[in-house]
Amino acid sequence: MMTVNYVASAILVVMGLYTIINDKNLIKVVLGLGIVDYGVNLFIVSVGYNMGGTAPIFSISDIMANSVLFGNGGAFFVDPVPQALTLTSIVIGACVDAMALSLVVKLYQQYKTTNTDEIRRLRG
Amino acid sequence: MSYVHFPVIAVMSLFLGAFVCAIFGKNHDKLCKAVGVLDAAWVFALIALIVKPVVFDGEIISYWMGNWSPIKGWAIGIGYEIDALGAFFALIVVFTVLMSVIYSIRYMDRDDDIYNYYTLLLMMSGSVLGLVLTGDVFNMFIMIEIMTFTAVGLTCFRNRSFGALEAGFKYLVIGSMGSSMTLLGIALLYAQCHTLNMAQLASILVNNTTPTSVLALALMFTGLGVKAYIVPFHMPAADSYAVAPTSVSMVFSGMVNKAGVYAIIRLVYILFNTMDKGSMQVLLTAFGAVTMFVGVTMALAQHDFKRLLAFHSISQIGYVITAIGLGSALGVTAGLFHALNHTLFKGLLFLCAGAVLYATGTTNLDKLGGLSKKMPKTTICFLVGAFSIAGMPPFNGFASKWMVYQAAFEKAVEGGHIYFAFITVVAVVVSVMTLASFIKVTQAVFFGQCPIELQKTEEVPFSMRLPMWIMSALCLLVGVFYDFVNKWFLAPATNAVLNATNYIDKMMGNGYAAAAGVENIQVAPAAFSFWNPLTWLVLFVVVFAAVAIVILTGKKSRGAVLETAENVDGKYATFFGGEASPFSHVSGSDLFWGFKKDWKGYFSFMDNLHSGIVNDYALWVVVALAIVTVWFNVFMK
Repeated sequence: MMTVNYVASAILVVMGLYTIINDKNLIKVVLGLGIVDYGVNLFIVSVGYNMGGTAPIFSISDIMANSVLFGNGGAFFVDPVPQALTLTSIVIGACVDAMALSLVVKLYQQYKTTNTDEIRRLRG
Repeated sequence: MSYVHFPVIAVMSLFLGAFVCAIFGKNHDKLCKAVGVLDAAWVFALIALIVKPVVFDGEIISYWMGNWSPIKGWAIGIGYEIDALGAFFALIVVFTVLMSVIYSIRYMDRDDDIYNYYTLLLMMSGSVLGLVLTGDVFNMFIMIEIMTFTAVGLTCFRNRSFGALEAGFKYLVIGSMGSSMTLLGIALLYAQCHTLNMAQLASILVNNTTPTSVLALALMFTGLGVKAYIVPFHMPAADSYAVAPTSVSMVFSGMVNKAGVYAIIRLVYILFNTMDKGSMQVLLTAFGAVTMFVGVTMALAQHDFKRLLAFHSISQIGYVITAIGLGSALGVTAGLFHALNHTLFKGLLFLCAGAVLYATGTTNLDKLGGLSKKMPKTTICFLVGAFSIAGMPPFNGFASKWMVYQAAFEKAVEGGHIYFAFITVVAVVVSVMTLASFIKVTQAVFFGQCPIELQKTEEVPFSMRLPMWIMSALCLLVGVFYDFVNKWFLAPATNAVLNATNYIDKMMGNGYAAAAGVENIQVAPAAFSFWNPLTWLVLFVVVFAAVAIVILTGKKSRGAVLETAENVDGKYATFFGGEASPFSHVSGSDLFWGFKKDWKGYFSFMDNLHSGIVNDYALWVVVALAIVTVWFNVFMK
């Protein structure tokens, strides 16, 4: 049931890595980073999801009776922790993209190009 | 018992200092400098106060944010946990920051907008401190992200200078790939274990090696390896160390890559408890050996002072990784000792390079020379650092490198593995090359002839020399009193690394680790000796092997046709032809041209690898991830 999410996230991660490796345009490299991030985010949020689960509002007796953590195997609420992680990760991802794009703007001003093959003053 | 709050206050103070600089610091440079120095000194004091209970007395501080302590054995809140290992690295971090901010007072006064600099520097310090003190993997990831992005900002700080933006962009791409991999690994761990607390993860994972956890280990190892800049992830590190302001290069080399090393130690020893496996030891020592060899040979080919030091920094991290990869108590002690010493001598060398840059305006080895008369105090400090990194007794580099050799060789003797003997030889050869490389730098910068443009060079101000003197003194003291350092700092930290049970029990309640089946790998104390005659004999055998290798590699050219002025590069013609080009000379920075010429194939190969194209660097990360994943899947069953 969640398999499609996992497959999709794997495809996104691989697609992002392929973009970073293969594309010679700085902006596309940044987009690749973003796609990897989205893949990871999709994965995390899928980890915590329970089919048919309710909102995670519960008392300790509920959790003791139903949660998978205490060996009772029930799936009565959606795990809130991965959602918190995903939110944090999305925020970080947005910052990464913003920072990387601002660097690309600066690089373009200095080098007059966005081709990674030509931005290689530091080598060897 | 109030000291339990100190670690958290320390982390918060650094972030608070950063925000104060960001909000009030614009056009108030003095305020920023004061905030930086006072904040770093205050945090240093806080961490120094927890050293006694944690490191000397062996207590472990556990701190649940908002008092969300575990319920029925399940950790729900975010916990900070400080054992001797964390406190040891925290001490390294706060010391580095303090030295850096003192040095920055004068060093940064030619830059604009230094409130940005202090904001980023303090924020990075806070994140690294948080990383070494936290007991929660997701918190660790957040700290890693903050560290990476402030590091990018600091790399680009002098964004009009040569290559700064380029280095920052490459760092961002590679660093962010590493972070994503770490996050994916953490997500996999959460999927298997339903917890993010390191202590609980460690107790769950110990007898549950599933495909999920193996993949998580591979992803996290690669991601954290990127942060420690081991080969093949080192290329952006070399760039960013070279172009960042020198006070920042020193912080990068002193604590940012130590944070990666710390995280790797935590990962392989505590979290996965896997270092008793032979395959793990082989993988880590192989990464370490490659790192130290590639680092030092690349350093030999450099013509920029700071870039050369950057490659040496990478090479020394190779020693640390090799030592901790041995899995023995002596190995861990050696690795931690070398990590400490690396912070001291490499920080010192970077500060000297910064002093040279401040005084002359260049770090190009071909343009420098003869500064020993103009800057005698800097020269003395530099020589102390160079002796330390090259492993001369009685400086600290000797003691820790000796321990690394001894640990590697003992491993070889114990198990009868030729592989670890080979690692020992590589370590010795790399040390020799380090010495060679520093002879070159010393000759090119401080001795030799002084170019006419540098005749008016003056010694740097006192506030820049002060950190250099402190670090020089520590290089010597740590080298002389290695027994003291071992007894009070390294032994507790090694114990913390090897005894996961205490770490788990303190966090999750007594008996938790035993119930989960966590056992200590080994508890034998690290006994080491520098003057054991048998070890000397071993040293001679190893040195002989190293010499033999060097001779054998030169065998090809023996008996070959002597090169003359006609068939050799004109630069070297004076050595062969005499009058053909009377004005050519080999400068100090080119002292080992013969070696470079003999190894031309290797150097041009390495040159192609360090192509400067960010796609290639990204490819290396993915290739390394693939190798590590396959390795773990084959051998971790």
